[in-house]
Amino acid sequence: MQIFVNSKYDFVRWRFMAVSFSVLFMLVGLAMFFKHGINWGIDFAGGATITLKFRDAVPMDRLRADLADASIQQYGKAEDRAILIRLPELKQETDYAGQVVAKLIKDLNPESATKLDLNFQGRDGLSELLYSLDPDAKGTLPTSKDYYRNVAQNVINKRSEVGIFTSISQATSAPGVTTAVARVLNEKCFLGAFNVLNQETVGPQVGAELQQKAIWAVVLSTLAMGAYLWIRFDLMFGASAIVCIVHDVLMSLAFLMIINGEFSLNIVAALLLIVGFSINDTVVMYDRVRENRRKLKTRMTLEEQLNLAMNQTLSRTILTSGSVVVVLVALILFGGKVIHEFAWILLIGVLAGTYSTVTIVPAVAIAWNHLTGRTHDLSGPAARSRVEARVETVPPPPQQRKRRVG
Amino acid sequence: MTRGLLWKVILILVVLVGFAAATIPTQDNPEPIRRGLDLKGGTHLVMRVNVGDAVRLETDQASEMLKAQAKKTNLPIPVTRRVNDTTFVATLPADTPVTPYETIAKDFLGSFDTGRTPEGLMQFKMKTASQTAIERDTVAHTVETIDNRVNALGVTEPYIAPESGYRIVIQLPGVDDPARVKDIIKTTAQLQFRLVEGNPGSDAAAALASVPDNMKTEVDVMPGTKEDALGRAAGIEYYAVRKTVPVTGTDLKNARVQKGQLGQPNVGFSLTPDGARKFGDLTGANVHRRLAIVLDNKVVSAPVINSQITDSGVIEGSFTAQQAADLSLVLRSGSLPASLTTLEERTVGPSLGRDSIRQGILASIIGFIALVLSVLLYYKGAGINAVLALLLNLVILLGMMAIFHATLTLPGIAGIILTLGMAIDSNVLVFERIREELRDGKTVRAAIENGFSRAFGTIIDTHMTTIISALFLFQFGTGPIKGFAVTLLIGLFASVFTAFFVSRVIFDVMYKAQDRPTEISI
Repeated sequence: MQIFVNSKYDFVRWRFMAVSFSVLFMLVGLAMFFKHGINWGIDFAGGATITLKFRDAVPMDRLRADLADASIQQYGKAEDRAILIRLPELKQETDYAGQVVAKLIKDLNPESATKLDLNFQGRDGLSELLYSLDPDAKGTLPTSKDYYRNVAQNVINKRSEVGIFTSISQATSAPGVTTAVARVLNEKCFLGAFNVLNQETVGPQVGAELQQKAIWAVVLSTLAMGAYLWIRFDLMFGASAIVCIVHDVLMSLAFLMIINGEFSLNIVAALLLIVGFSINDTVVMYDRVRENRRKLKTRMTLEEQLNLAMNQTLSRTILTSGSVVVVLVALILFGGKVIHEFAWILLIGVLAGTYSTVTIVPAVAIAWNHLTGRTHDLSGPAARSRVEARVETVPPPPQQRKRRVG
Repeated sequence: MTRGLLWKVILILVVLVGFAAATIPTQDNPEPIRRGLDLKGGTHLVMRVNVGDAVRLETDQASEMLKAQAKKTNLPIPVTRRVNDTTFVATLPADTPVTPYETIAKDFLGSFDTGRTPEGLMQFKMKTASQTAIERDTVAHTVETIDNRVNALGVTEPYIAPESGYRIVIQLPGVDDPARVKDIIKTTAQLQFRLVEGNPGSDAAAALASVPDNMKTEVDVMPGTKEDALGRAAGIEYYAVRKTVPVTGTDLKNARVQKGQLGQPNVGFSLTPDGARKFGDLTGANVHRRLAIVLDNKVVSAPVINSQITDSGVIEGSFTAQQAADLSLVLRSGSLPASLTTLEERTVGPSLGRDSIRQGILASIIGFIALVLSVLLYYKGAGINAVLALLLNLVILLGMMAIFHATLTLPGIAGIILTLGMAIDSNVLVFERIREELRDGKTVRAAIENGFSRAFGTIIDTHMTTIISALFLFQFGTGPIKGFAVTLLIGLFASVFTAFFVSRVIFDVMYKAQDRPTEISI
């Protein structure tokens, strides 16, 4: 199978339309920015998030009353009975999420003062309870401790498997639970209303630092990329590459603004990847321009050179971007909630990268060429020899001639 | 097959088998590729050591030392006041010469600079070098203590390391009860035995009122748990305890959970020889008085001393089984020299980790299959070549991760997929070149030759740009993101190897066997 064999699209002609589209898209993003501001995740804003999975229906009203300043939303599907609680930034450093969870336990699980919560406590808490009561009469030998630790581990593993215990019989059906142990579980333990899936706290200090680091990382890697291409190619390509990267990053950010997505550490990672990956198309295209310049026999304008190179590399561009897009779509569809936004931003970045290679890069390069007196139009041996002939007619400086003679 | 080609094939097979072997779980190494906290569940904590606590303590001890030495040499005892963490001033009684105090300072307070305040008071300021040394030791000691506690909890493969800014990063994979572990880590566990003055009171004022007037400035009032007849907690009461601390937690040799007469759990302790002597002196001289057991400025219990005790004792309180176990653990592992403040916490419960890895792997497999199918469809025969290179790339990547103990995180799975995208890209660049050469009428062999050599520069450039961004990602990233950057970097190097070497060898094996190949499936 082959596509785009000997294609002759006039990409350069579309550049003004493309620039207008990009600018428009970014303006929409900017408008959304002014409307909502940036939806900083807790990584940067500080604060806390807690994801809870409930045993029964989520007591939403109770939670809203308990946590007045928090935003509470459903996490995943409704039948998962899971919620995501976001707590706003605190001015001081504390174990924020931990304190809130402790408060919820006190309010929703009044039995926790006297009994052990099988939906919250871990292996060690349970194994110590069993060891101190010793239902299976194992004595006080160290092997007894190991025995109960093993039983407790089985119960906790069972909980990880089902997500949350909804009845105590689920816990007692774990392997290694004897009738006597089951009696202890029934009498001394209870099933708490929720299980903590995830809890995060970012203090104001760490948040501010991460924010600063993220901005530097994106800016510096963009500049490093431009510098690399300047060294490998020339200043015009380096500059247009930087514009291209900035374009791709801004398009992704505009998209994030439009969907009002959360700006988290993962999004920064996605942006850095876009910086590195979306430039590849541009590099491949530049390489082709340079190679063509060495081979071409006639004079060609920069517009013609760019069009030729873009058409020559078109099938590769589409194929590579296409295969990455296929994988990213799989991640978006099946990858789960945690990487969902990450995959979306990458997808937009990759698409923007491909599109900017055939539109934005030529636009900048051509504008640069015009501003510098069309120096990039010269090409091919004929053109080169003309330049060399002109150089020959200029008499070399005296010292240089002397050295050449000597 | 020529001899050179044979060696290349053998090399590739060795690489394949070697890296594949590294990823196979064994008895000693059941998890060759370590999963990050986001996939395994666990806790990531960043804590700040409040080094000021330790510096302040040093300053307080220095002012006590000044007073003690003044008393020893029969000088009037100065009144001292701490100005800030590193500085205290001493007010001397009127008409007292300063010189003998300066001699004491020179002999006993070597880490302080002496001077005068504008009002003429003696001022003692800690030397910067001493302060730095205390801060450094405090952080090191804290790391060591946390390490002891975490090990006592039986956490496998914990990571505990100091960072700049008096911070400590703690990673505890697989912890299923983070709230408890955090409590244990953060407990300062400063145990003190101090004599009680007066009687316990229902509030601080009542407790202080029962203290004789001449002792009022020599006591601290602290809260404690009130117990009913059965030893259960029943509200709070206050105790006035002496400021002097004759015996502390550092005098303890061991601590363990015991059962009391009613079967209630309590903590038994034994003392070091030096501690036993001090404890014997204290209890022997104060029979029938109350001795407060103070933990982190709270009175745990205040039993009456019945007779002299030397080498061991029991801390009774209204403990649950777990509280007693936790207390004996922190006493065994020693106290923290300074308090800790939580700056950052990320905890993933085991069931979320399980879901994430299931979905991540499912998505990766679907993505991988889609990738393979599209390459096979597009390039037919040469597509098999690309898929082989891709598989080898995956094996090298996973093998390298196992060898370097890199951690696989959720973004890391995305990193693997992106790497495979890069690997495919290299093949695409080469194949497109070969197709072009064929269209220009070159022979199959020349087309393969030129395809690889012409694509070389381009592939190096595309990899370099991605390596640059991966390096920034590594430099900037924390936790899972760092894992992602490492995966990406390893994958990029593997991709260069498979694209130039492996694909080439596969083509050579396929077409060089024929003397003059005329057809290529691409």
